[in-house]
Amino acid sequence: MTAGRLLGALLLALAGFAIWSAQSLEVAFAADPLGPRAFPTTVALLMALCGALLLIPRGPDFEWPERLAAPPLLVLVMAGYALLLVPLGFLLATILLASSVALLFGARPLAALATGLITSASLWALFDRVLDLPLPKGLLGA
Amino acid sequence: MMETFAALGGGFAVALQPTNLFLALIGCIIGTAIGVLPGIGPLNAIALLLPFCLALKLPPESALILLAAVYYGSGYGGRITAILLNMPGEPSAVLTTLDGHPLAKQGRGGAALAISGIGSFVGATISVVLMTFLSVPLARVAVAFSPADYVALIAFALSLLGAVGGGSAPKAWAAGCLGILLAMIGIDSGTGVERFTAGSMELLGGLDFTVLAIGLFAIGEILLLIETRIRAEAAKLGQGQRLTLAEIIFCVPAMFRATGIGFVIGVLPGAGASVASALSYTAEKRLNESNGKFGQGDMRGVAAPETADNAAQIGNLVPMLSLGIPGSGTTAVLLGALLMYNITPGPLLFEQRPDVAWGLIASMYIGNCMLLLLNLPLVGIFARLLTVPAWVLYPGVLALSFAGVYAASNSAFDLLLAIGFGVMGWAFRKLGVPLVPIILGFVLGRMLEDNLRRAMSLSDGDVMALLGSPVSIVLWVMTLGALLWPLLARRRGVEARAPGV
Repeated sequence: MTAGRLLGALLLALAGFAIWSAQSLEVAFAADPLGPRAFPTTVALLMALCGALLLIPRGPDFEWPERLAAPPLLVLVMAGYALLLVPLGFLLATILLASSVALLFGARPLAALATGLITSASLWALFDRVLDLPLPKGLLGA
Repeated sequence: MMETFAALGGGFAVALQPTNLFLALIGCIIGTAIGVLPGIGPLNAIALLLPFCLALKLPPESALILLAAVYYGSGYGGRITAILLNMPGEPSAVLTTLDGHPLAKQGRGGAALAISGIGSFVGATISVVLMTFLSVPLARVAVAFSPADYVALIAFALSLLGAVGGGSAPKAWAAGCLGILLAMIGIDSGTGVERFTAGSMELLGGLDFTVLAIGLFAIGEILLLIETRIRAEAAKLGQGQRLTLAEIIFCVPAMFRATGIGFVIGVLPGAGASVASALSYTAEKRLNESNGKFGQGDMRGVAAPETADNAAQIGNLVPMLSLGIPGSGTTAVLLGALLMYNITPGPLLFEQRPDVAWGLIASMYIGNCMLLLLNLPLVGIFARLLTVPAWVLYPGVLALSFAGVYAASNSAFDLLLAIGFGVMGWAFRKLGVPLVPIILGFVLGRMLEDNLRRAMSLSDGDVMALLGSPVSIVLWVMTLGALLWPLLARRRGVEARAPGV
């Protein structure tokens, strides 16, 4: 499957969803002649047209990553961070995040841990101490 | 004329306040640094800084001075890696590699960096002067624009995306449409109906601009970086002869031509610094065919694209401030920043918020002087940034991204949303879809719909009203031309190169 075709199919599906979703909008009375439906529908139709143009086979195949596992692992790490940030608190969660990302970028374990500690501590110092922005305290908070 | 000087004087009163001077300096340093670092462009950096500006409750003029300094500062940084490592730090520095790197190999890297720094300063400063005198007249013209005229103007700005984005036009247009649709998420202001929220409470207020920008650009870029093995190389400045005065004078005509090209290209919506630097390099090469050694280390081949690059960046700000229509991804982010402060750039900005508009313009005179002073002696320090290993740099960037999203919204949902957009940004890059149109569509989409609905209300639903004025007819004709141009250009093999951001 060429990259162009894959994309064309994806765009058609997205446009289809947008159009279907826009048609279900009901307005009790029309505040303006256009309403909330017409504009998104038109834009989605234009997008579908572009998607259809891309279905014409042409161009290179989809390029799979050199390190196939790295991007999904990074997504997992990031999603974990999003879920753990509030319960664990900024300091602990950020140590975990930065250390694992450093590992994924090819750091040795000790270096990764050091990166995590320094990144987390310096960001916390910057935000909490210098800039006075609220960050979740989590487990370490009183 | 006198009015302009008085207004500019008022701007300097804002820009010279100690806080604003300090923020401009910080912005210039960050801008140069991110210009050096591959994978982090001005767009990512501004998207990262914006939530902090809001969370720190910086006044809008101060925030804009900081963010704009990052923007034009990045134009000084991209050349450093282009010259020393043959690796453009920014897409617009691609052309600088052609003569810059050969010069570095001949041991004249220091001289190439100096001439490009001077070129950047000349291009940016002359453009700021032009901007000072052109912004208000342009805004006066736009005051008379009706909603229908605005519809045509925005349609024109969006249609240009396919013509100049490089690569495939349908992909750019599809990305623009997607951006518009993303802007529709949330409660429709006209009727109070929920659109595209999938029943989610968090999405009722619409997508947060910073979440989209940080996700697509910062997180998406890191996902792309992690999948290839990064090869570290040491930077070297070169010990050859320093730049001579004769060489600077030799480059002056090229710099002036490049400023002209860059500024004009920059003011046109859709065309960016990449196009400007490519055009000015080609122009110099053609003009000096007999006495040039372009491609083997001609000083003018370094000066011209860098001058045009910076001139175009400043030119890009003109339509953003005067018309409220951004011409590039990064100016779209700056516009988004102003919108988050409830300030609508456009024709009335210069009258209603002169402190913001003129403060910004005045700060750019100061900022460019700071950048010249920073860049000539300190270029070696910035170049050393490249020796920071990826595994130190990117965990920090990622943590900063998340901290920014969280500081702006206090919601873990927004973090997940940003990750989702990161995956989308990664996939789109792999599929060759430009991301800038998504941002432009997102910023312009709501404006387009609002104006369209206003125009339809005024005309009681008569579609022909969209062609009701000479301005709108001209703009629609230009839009049609911009839509057909890529189809014609492909035949002749014209492709502007603008990879990545």
